[in-house]
Amino acid sequence: MKTRIIFWSILLAFVLTPLTIAGGKSDLQKYFNDAAKKVKAAENAAEKRDILNESFQSMSNALNQVQNSGMISKDESNGIDLFKAALQEKQDELAGSNGYERVADTQLNAFSNYVVQDMEQASITISLVALVLIIILLVLIL
Amino acid sequence: MLNLHSLSFVSAANKRLLLSFVYAALILFLSSCSANIPVQRENDLTAETMRATNYSLVFVIHGDGDYFYHDADGNRYKADEEALTKAKKIAQQNPGAEVFIFHSKPARRFMFLFPLKDGEFYYYRNGQLIANESYWRDQELSNFDIQVELYRRFSSQSRNEKVNMFFYFGHEIPEFGGEGYDASYPDRSFTVRDLAVGLKSLTRDFTRFDLMILSTCYGGTPYTIGKLGLFAQYIIASPENLHLSYFDLYLLEMLDINLLERDVYAFAKKFAKQTFNRLTMDVETAVSVAVYDVDRVKDYLNSVQMIYDNSLIPLRENKMSYLTIVEHCDCADITAYKLPMINNGVEVYYRPARFGRLKYKQNHSGWECWKNIEQ
Repeated sequence: MKTRIIFWSILLAFVLTPLTIAGGKSDLQKYFNDAAKKVKAAENAAEKRDILNESFQSMSNALNQVQNSGMISKDESNGIDLFKAALQEKQDELAGSNGYERVADTQLNAFSNYVVQDMEQASITISLVALVLIIILLVLIL
Repeated sequence: MLNLHSLSFVSAANKRLLLSFVYAALILFLSSCSANIPVQRENDLTAETMRATNYSLVFVIHGDGDYFYHDADGNRYKADEEALTKAKKIAQQNPGAEVFIFHSKPARRFMFLFPLKDGEFYYYRNGQLIANESYWRDQELSNFDIQVELYRRFSSQSRNEKVNMFFYFGHEIPEFGGEGYDASYPDRSFTVRDLAVGLKSLTRDFTRFDLMILSTCYGGTPYTIGKLGLFAQYIIASPENLHLSYFDLYLLEMLDINLLERDVYAFAKKFAKQTFNRLTMDVETAVSVAVYDVDRVKDYLNSVQMIYDNSLIPLRENKMSYLTIVEHCDCADITAYKLPMINNGVEVYYRPARFGRLKYKQNHSGWECWKNIEQ
């Protein structure tokens, strides 16, 4: 029995470690890319705004849960703060609050692309992303 | 070591099957351990393939990290694979060129146990693939020893004056720290200094590259251009973020036509303009492409080098959390850098992001610095 546990533990470690590395940020990109696809498919501006808002809000909630979990270091928490601030700026621009000019209805598809591209260029650590994904999954499951 | 006989849950038939797999894996593993064995050699270096070359191109493509991006239609691409395909096309379409391609790949294992080589090298000459070898990347220091060895082994010694170009594709090359640049080797570091060490070895026989193209984010800093400028006459880089679809390489596909006059500076400007036009069509984030005439930017670099190096000191001390205290900015936004000669030797193509707080920024100096984040 013990040998079996060791065997599968070794096997899983070899299988899961590369998968975790390969996932990470790309899954986060997929999240925003999926939202952008929905935005483009939406029929009217109000619907597009709702989709974008919801994607920002769900992500912010997930990030808050990660921060409150007590399972991350101060440095990682600082990283999450930066990410949250970037999300908040986009949310503000969408709504036209905090000094931002409101994104025009005709620009919402382009704005969704901007969000995807900006997230692809952002510096986010893998460990942070892995944690974020865990929480997102938890939110989806619960 | 794992004792196969102790695996009581495996039947006798399965044991034989498992052992067969293990033996096959061992054979493959042992063959993968052999250093520098060509895995494919399509042509030998014969008189036909030894024709003189007018251009020598070196591509270093980093692919061990987060390199996925999406186009405006939501299609997903892998940046390093895209760059590799384009580099190969350039190699095949230039009969007067020799092309070296080094592709850094993520660490992988055969059957989850045996490590596979994590680098792949291609050498093209006169449009033909001459060699294709897998190799082990440097495991600790990023000193480019293996790449330099392969470069020296295959480099043609033709006496005619060649146009030498160097291309780097990857994420922002760190100016300090550098740990985690390779996703597979989080403890291994890679910095601008490491690249400079590699370039020093590569340029041993011809002093410096005629053109260096840094297809990375934040390549246009005083430190990066200062360090790498020792090994190039002209550099094309993006001072701000660069979308992972990278610079447009179309002009390189017909060097005999596009570099007919051998005017590298004119070619560099045309290349930058073309890549700027393509990026501004596809990308909503900021687009910045700059051409640096290394000899002409020296005065400016000498004037700001001390200030810039000092700005890196606190960042080196806070490697894990520096992004919470500083952010990138146009050097022209900081008085100390805004000297009369800031624009000397720099040709900048810039369009701000279509959204965000800098969407009305009209121009960029071509130099990127660090500033403290306003609390």
